Amino acid sequence: MADLTPLELHQMTQDLLHNSASDRPLISDSALLSVLREEYERGSGSFVQQIDFLSNIRGFTHIRRTRGDGDCFYRSLAFAWISRLLHSKNQTLDVAKAISLLDSTLPTLEAAGFEKMVYEDFHDVIVSIVRQIVVPEPSGATLSPALLLEAFQDAEVSNCIVVFLRFLTSATIKTDPDSYLPYLFDPETGDDISLTDFCNRHVEACGKEADNVQISALTRALKLNIEIAYLDGHSADGSVNFVPFQNLPESDMPNPPILLYRPGHYDILEKQP
Amino acid sequence: MASISSRRLSKELKELNTECPAGIKLVEASNFDKWILGIEVLGDSLYKGESFLLKFTFDPGYPISAPAVQFVVDSEHEAPLHPHVYSNGHICASILGDAWSPVLSVSAVCITLQSMLASCKKKERPEGNDRYVRFAPENPKKTKFLYDDDTV
Repeated sequence: MADLTPLELHQMTQDLLHNSASDRPLISDSALLSVLREEYERGSGSFVQQIDFLSNIRGFTHIRRTRGDGDCFYRSLAFAWISRLLHSKNQTLDVAKAISLLDSTLPTLEAAGFEKMVYEDFHDVIVSIVRQIVVPEPSGATLSPALLLEAFQDAEVSNCIVVFLRFLTSATIKTDPDSYLPYLFDPETGDDISLTDFCNRHVEACGKEADNVQISALTRALKLNIEIAYLDGHSADGSVNFVPFQNLPESDMPNPPILLYRPGHYDILEKQP
Repeated sequence: MASISSRRLSKELKELNTECPAGIKLVEASNFDKWILGIEVLGDSLYKGESFLLKFTFDPGYPISAPAVQFVVDSEHEAPLHPHVYSNGHICASILGDAWSPVLSVSAVCITLQSMLASCKKKERPEGNDRYVRFAPENPKKTKFLYDDDTV
């Protein structure tokens, strides 16, 4: 398996994910990392070694999986972000800040040429769910971890959140071309691509995977620190490379959300007591 | 709360009722499942004087999922003779498949198809039209088109 080229690995992961794509929930309840380990036990020693590194050395206990539908980065990030607000010790303040941040992105969307008609419904959905952490819905319930999971498993709510984050990512790239243009290429052909084509076809369109450019733009727009753990079966010593995307001083956002990357797919890594 | 598709479509409907793009006209939109729009190419083109009907079918995932769009073909209407339009009305255009994004709308689709017709240099059916039409699924979204022209 270590002999596979990155392209072959990518293809293999894609095949695996697409085969299971339709029956897997959009996002699942947490599962023990040992479950993931078992899946690689018969196939790849290098993956198993890296999973052991995640649990034994870095102390991760669980993985929360997303469906491999190309929206997994956005869905994972949204879930991890909202879940963090839900578990915050300064919940009221953090929720207020998050809502004002989401509202403050609207001028950026407008500046990037998004029409109000196009973004407002998606914006409403993400703001409502964040607000529900502190303000009960008409049904009387504030957001609980179970309700959050339920919302993210509901295709309409979940996909609306994904779409809003895609628009925000696109608008961030479009309104600051100098920062992103040098890094843009067509993910399908490897050729040069214009900023507009990149955003229209690979950011705004659902089902298109996110790469470093999208991750860096979105975490910047949301003023978030995250780390991505690369589980790729290509480590000489069995360790896992963690790549930080930092937009706040570390002290302002300690223990950032960690996404687990396997070629072509993102899930969420968790440490549970 | 109304579903996302009906919220969006009611806004699009309002906009189309107030101000329809030139050459586009709303023919039928009595629900949020199916709309019919009239389309003609303004100015000089191979389709001067011709007009066509477009049928939009929306699923509850609209606008996250693309609408199914085809030219109406019945006793009174034909699909335009164009290298991306099959004689059964199905259209091979990437914005209706792979390149669809929720930024697009009914009017954006109409305008794109209008310019697809306007820029046509030779009136002909796509290669393999007869075979495609014989075996085509009823819903054009079920066809996996290969887009050889990225401009539409």
